[in-house]
Amino acid sequence: MADRVFAGVLLLVTLAYSVIAFTAISAPFQYDPLGPESWPRLLSIVAILCILAILWKPDTEALDVSNRAWFRLFATVVLLVAYAELYEPFGFVVATILFGTVMAAMLGAGILRAGIFGVVAGVAGYLLCAQLMGLNLPEGELVAWVTGAFTPDTTGGSS
Amino acid sequence: MNILRLGAIVALSVGLAAPTFAQGIDSPECVAPANPGGGFDLTCRIAQTGLEPQLGEAMQVTFMPGGIGAVAYNLFNTTRTDDGSAIVAFSSGSLLNIATGKYGEFDENDVRWVATAGADFGAVIVRSDSKYQTLSQLMDDFAADPASVVLGAGGSVGSQDWMKGALLLRDAGASPRDMRYVAFDGGGEAIAALLGGSIEVYTGDVGEMVPHLDSGDMRILAVLSSERLGGAFADIPTAIEQGYNVEWTIMRGFYMGGEVSDAAYNAWVDAFKAAYQTEEFAALQAEKGLLPLNVAGDELTAMVKKNVQGLREVAKEAGLIQ
Amino acid sequence: MESVISGLATGFGVAFQPFNLMLVVFGCFAGTLIGALPGLGPINGVAILLPIAYGLGFPPESALILLAGIYYGAEYGGRVSAILLNVPGDAGAVMTTIDGNPMARAGEAGRALSLSAVASFVGGTFAVVLLSIFGPALAAFAVTFSPSDYVALMVFAFASLASLVGKSTVKTLLGALIGLMLATIGIDANTGVARYTFGIPDILAGIDFLIVVVGLFGMAELLTLVEHQAAGTLKSLPVDKSFVRWADISRTKWTIARSSVIGFFIGILPGTGASVASAVAYGTEKRISDREGTFGHGDPRGLAAPEAANNAAAGGAMVPMLTLGIPGSGTTAILLGALLMFNIQPGPMMFTQRPEVAWGLIASMYIGNVALLVINLPMVGLFARMLTIPQHYLTPLIAILAFIGIYTIVGNPFDLLMITGLGVFGWLLRKMEFSLAPVILGFVLGGLFEDNLRRALSISGGDWFILVESWKSIAMYLLAILVAVVPVILARRQKVVVA
Repeated sequence: MADRVFAGVLLLVTLAYSVIAFTAISAPFQYDPLGPESWPRLLSIVAILCILAILWKPDTEALDVSNRAWFRLFATVVLLVAYAELYEPFGFVVATILFGTVMAAMLGAGILRAGIFGVVAGVAGYLLCAQLMGLNLPEGELVAWVTGAFTPDTTGGSS
Repeated sequence: MNILRLGAIVALSVGLAAPTFAQGIDSPECVAPANPGGGFDLTCRIAQTGLEPQLGEAMQVTFMPGGIGAVAYNLFNTTRTDDGSAIVAFSSGSLLNIATGKYGEFDENDVRWVATAGADFGAVIVRSDSKYQTLSQLMDDFAADPASVVLGAGGSVGSQDWMKGALLLRDAGASPRDMRYVAFDGGGEAIAALLGGSIEVYTGDVGEMVPHLDSGDMRILAVLSSERLGGAFADIPTAIEQGYNVEWTIMRGFYMGGEVSDAAYNAWVDAFKAAYQTEEFAALQAEKGLLPLNVAGDELTAMVKKNVQGLREVAKEAGLIQ
Repeated sequence: MESVISGLATGFGVAFQPFNLMLVVFGCFAGTLIGALPGLGPINGVAILLPIAYGLGFPPESALILLAGIYYGAEYGGRVSAILLNVPGDAGAVMTTIDGNPMARAGEAGRALSLSAVASFVGGTFAVVLLSIFGPALAAFAVTFSPSDYVALMVFAFASLASLVGKSTVKTLLGALIGLMLATIGIDANTGVARYTFGIPDILAGIDFLIVVVGLFGMAELLTLVEHQAAGTLKSLPVDKSFVRWADISRTKWTIARSSVIGFFIGILPGTGASVASAVAYGTEKRISDREGTFGHGDPRGLAAPEAANNAAAGGAMVPMLTLGIPGSGTTAILLGALLMFNIQPGPMMFTQRPEVAWGLIASMYIGNVALLVINLPMVGLFARMLTIPQHYLTPLIAILAFIGIYTIVGNPFDLLMITGLGVFGWLLRKMEFSLAPVILGFVLGGLFEDNLRRALSISGGDWFILVESWKSIAMYLLAILVAVVPVILARRQKVVVA
């Protein structure tokens, strides 16, 4: 059953892919006989046949994921999206402390230990990657604003 | 990075380098919006070596392949709009893409044009054992049967590499649509295909041929400049000299995001202007096969806008845009 | 041959200077760390450290030796997270997860890490030996590979990958197709037409390979860990003290030899790299040796094959760069840029004009391989301890490392959302019993296949016969048939014997 639902969704996406390949993609002119549209057309047809085969004879009955696991998975994805969104505004250190703490706490580390983990990961990660290896990690607008490490344009000016 | 900063401090205290105006630029970066090895790479290398005395450190060159530079252009118009430490390489090809609308909603008014690295020129290149000894032999074949010559380069249809081929065919009296053109992923792959015999003619640039001049593997039939170049290229005739009115000048330079602070922008512009005054920068340009075209700041901005307008008209003529 | 020996003597003279020796060791060490971060690989390692090496004012041969050490180290480092966490550190390490991670889960992380170090060492050394003896001739051969020959190579690659078929043939095929379709997103390299980009600039150039790898593998693995932990099915591993045994090496010696050859020859071709090399080597090896169906469940041969191949490919990619000045991969292109920065023109002239640079670099590759083995074997125990980190720390740590690795490549936060989305998709695919390797390989090979097919047809003016014109392509089609058919026949014969 789970198979069929998944294959059904995939079928819709592939059909959309196919429709675009057959109608929208074209070049003003081209030097090869295939052009930009033939390859996606071919792929989409074979893919649709494969999906129909799965719909015809599915083999995965159920996902077998407990409600508890569903909840945690959902929370993890929310956390990851938040982490990605806050990466630049908060900067690597703050975003990582927040993410590391919440994630570790959710997975069962004690709140205090989770906090220590988050701080260590954020600070050590920054020191190791940005300072030692010279990687380009975001310092964060928030941090810059709080510490005043950056002065705004008004006082900056060219020297 | 600590090692680098330490080095810069030492250099400063000895009084060797790092003039005051470069202070606004922290960990400078040049973004080459392509895979390594091509023209954007070369452009960034010029800034990297040429600005080193002004910046006090060698800037990092990063690669942001985007086929035609659209990713970098959009990134610097959406997320890194105020990144004062990074400059992005552009060329006439980027301007062509802006003109033909390939960069989406953003146009030439959305970024800040910093400075030029110099000018490069198109070149018609064959293998040294090719049957084409002169440009006129090639042009005769183009005129007789355009499909008899397999021509390749590192860009897609509508790119400036393609445009060079199209202009050659048009001058020979043939239609660019009859060309046998093979699009490779960057100049490196196209050169490999030329050496391997998959293609007969490569419409590349003068600058990228510098490392290959001594090897004797390839020959430049013509340089697509308005006047003969100097240095290592002094012996190579232009297409115009040989009686074919084909010219392709590539402006190479750098832009920054549209919301970069004046302080950061001016620091870069000043660094370039200072570098232009040095003999080392001129030597560097010559060595990389670039002619001096030293324009920065407002002057460049005006020049770019005029240039894009002109390209828009040409693209309309060629049927690339409505 | 004499010139090779005298050249190598010069080279070792340069490379054995204490300062240069120290740089090789440092480079290998730093490279291993960078390579172990998911996402960051040899390309980024070399690109990041190039300006530092230049800025420190080292002589050219020393700077290049440092960078080559980093290059090699990062190729090695990619396997650490692949084996331990099922998260490939870079493109060449995808196939390493297939048998490497099951070994680690069975409590043999140390054995897997040390065996892969040995396989990498052999593959890397084999490549350098061939490079120093036959370099120029090989490069001349590599550029004669025309677009139609690449098409044949892709057919061969897909034929060897037919061995990856898992539980369901249809699902394997569909997985590969999903990868192929993902690869069509972005601007078409031939006509410049945008396909499936929907006006989103971040995918105009297509989805970066590293994003697909870290998303589909790394983030999907993370979600799987979360799910298993919630279900309580995650068993913690004891401290693992296993190490490679002589029997392992003797059992994998032919695997390593074959894979080194495959990896090296794919590596010297411009445009293909460690990812294609390791995939073909794994597929071929599985076709040849997997009689008992142990591949994919922690078979040492399935681990040794891609590891020997990706390091041999890294060495092979140096061939066209050093002898012709043509970069065969992104990393060698950066090394080429480094040479130009020091005003050294690569190509045949380099060996006569600047022998100390050319041969010093080659000699440092020999030393780098030895240094990597020496540095890495003692570190095996340390790396293996990563598995004893409690799950509630390890899981967020994977996300933090993956975010660092992906963000620092381009500095685009959109990429972080992409790996998260691809992670959810990868997790779903895994739940549906799809295997992920075909998806990744479809993605890698898809672009090469389509672009070269259309290039070949542009060259021929639409004549399909160009695809079977050269002996190289015919040889590869024959090999493809061999790889696809022979195991089937062998299996049938075995059945007859059993019956």
